[in-house]
Amino acid sequence: MNRTSGSAASICMKAVDGSAPWYRRGRKYIVIYRSVVMENIQYVVNIAMGFLSYFIINFVMINLWDYMYGTSGEAIAGYGKEQMIWYVMITEMIWFGARGATVARQVSTDIRNGNIVYMVNKPYYYPFYVMAKYTGEWSVQLPMYAGLAVVMGMAMVGRLPGFRAAALPAVILCVILGITINAGFKLCISLLSFWIEDAHPFQWLYDKLILVIGVIFPIEIFPEKLQPFFRLTPIYTVCYGPAKLVVDFSGEKCMEILCAQLLYVLAGGILIYLVYRKGVKKLYVNGG
Amino acid sequence: MEAIRVQDLSKTFRVRQKEKGLKGSIRSVLHPRSEEIRAVDEVSFTVEEGEILAFIGPNGAGKSTTIKMLTGILYPDGGKLEVLGIDPTKRRKELAYQIGTVFGQKEQLWTHLTPYDNFRFFGAIYDIPEKETEARIKELGELFELGAFINTPVRGLSLGQRMRCEFAASLIHKPKVLFLDEPTIGLDPVVKETIRSLIKQMNRQLHTTIFLTSHDVGDIEKLCERIIIINAGSVVMDDSMEHLKDIHTSGMSLENMIVEIYKAEGRTVSV
Repeated sequence: MNRTSGSAASICMKAVDGSAPWYRRGRKYIVIYRSVVMENIQYVVNIAMGFLSYFIINFVMINLWDYMYGTSGEAIAGYGKEQMIWYVMITEMIWFGARGATVARQVSTDIRNGNIVYMVNKPYYYPFYVMAKYTGEWSVQLPMYAGLAVVMGMAMVGRLPGFRAAALPAVILCVILGITINAGFKLCISLLSFWIEDAHPFQWLYDKLILVIGVIFPIEIFPEKLQPFFRLTPIYTVCYGPAKLVVDFSGEKCMEILCAQLLYVLAGGILIYLVYRKGVKKLYVNGG
Repeated sequence: MEAIRVQDLSKTFRVRQKEKGLKGSIRSVLHPRSEEIRAVDEVSFTVEEGEILAFIGPNGAGKSTTIKMLTGILYPDGGKLEVLGIDPTKRRKELAYQIGTVFGQKEQLWTHLTPYDNFRFFGAIYDIPEKETEARIKELGELFELGAFINTPVRGLSLGQRMRCEFAASLIHKPKVLFLDEPTIGLDPVVKETIRSLIKQMNRQLHTTIFLTSHDVGDIEKLCERIIIINAGSVVMDDSMEHLKDIHTSGMSLENMIVEIYKAEGRTVSV
């Protein structure tokens, strides 16, 4: 076996295969994504075990809203009974389907125990690596929860009035962007582990904020004075926006949510870049 | 030609201190106190292309910190370093295409995937075209004799099989410099011998520069032409294996020689 000498080796290894530069750069992240999907497919039974929690929470919420609406069926905060229950089922579906240990726990654990060093010495951008892994995780989980949500919703609540199937592509895009924004913020919190001992309490606070304002209750439930503030937070783009489009779609609302999401993707991206760039230089590894 | 050049390399860590007991814990919250530890102190050396170098020292001597700075993982506080003419602090990603790392105490393979899928994964990470990756997998599969378990998920492999796969994965992109941090730790003597002969073979056939840290004297004796001993962050010896054996006569084993050198430097840590 002959070794290709000098710079020729690097040129040879840097894939002069005629493919577009963006594809060559992006292929590694697609492969990371694909590898995680392959890994997660082996655990579909474990994922399905989480269905029980989803079922119990939604069963409680269905009964709760059933009681709240009573017999009059009057709208609450502009939502009819079916809309409200479907709203909660969609947000819970995103909540359960997009939960992933990678951005929430793995990154901060890796920073604290020093395992991150074995990842940052590879020729990829670590935050992209994490996001590709996380996307691979939810791409298996979320469709499973979506199936469960549809079956459970149709069986226990019935058809959603005014639902437009034609709006689904826009809704799916909003869901994907919402999950990405959420992951971006969770990654930023995890990256704080470069400076602080434990980022988990901040993750907990962020999660509870999203859960209470946006997942369990739509923004309109809260006092009017607080609503404009909530609309400026990630809550608006993570859970509320996509679920609102499912239960009450309008082109105008869709554009508004998509624009807000794109702004958050941009802001989140810049924040991750800055936090990671600063943090990785502070890396301290136990035992060297 | 030099593969690695290090000049006055230094790294200091700030370690938090806490007094004992509950009172100490409360005091450390109110008045946090930290201590500076000079992990690497003005270390200088060079490594020639194709050389196999043992970089050894007692625990806490600064070996792993030096490797981590050479691979661009940690940022030095002072000094200059170049690996293959690249400054790891400025062009880490570019350097990553040219070097490989094997950390005996840490697996880089994805345990739920097979070695074959892992190799394809690493091929993509290093931007190698698929056809070339396939050819490389075949080549490395023969060199490391992976045929019997290349399609078994990594979690089902023995430690020896896994280490052979780790080596193959770290060589997929034909690195010019390979950093080995305790590559034979925990392996039985037979597998150790296999790994050593593979490292030798790789160095001969591919002319790969090997930078090895190990506490195993067998690794050092059987593989290395040159030895650098580091203690308390400073280089205390840089010599050829041949010369080291010559000056320490009276049939003393290499292990005892190294222990003597450590002791002379004020450390009584066994290798």
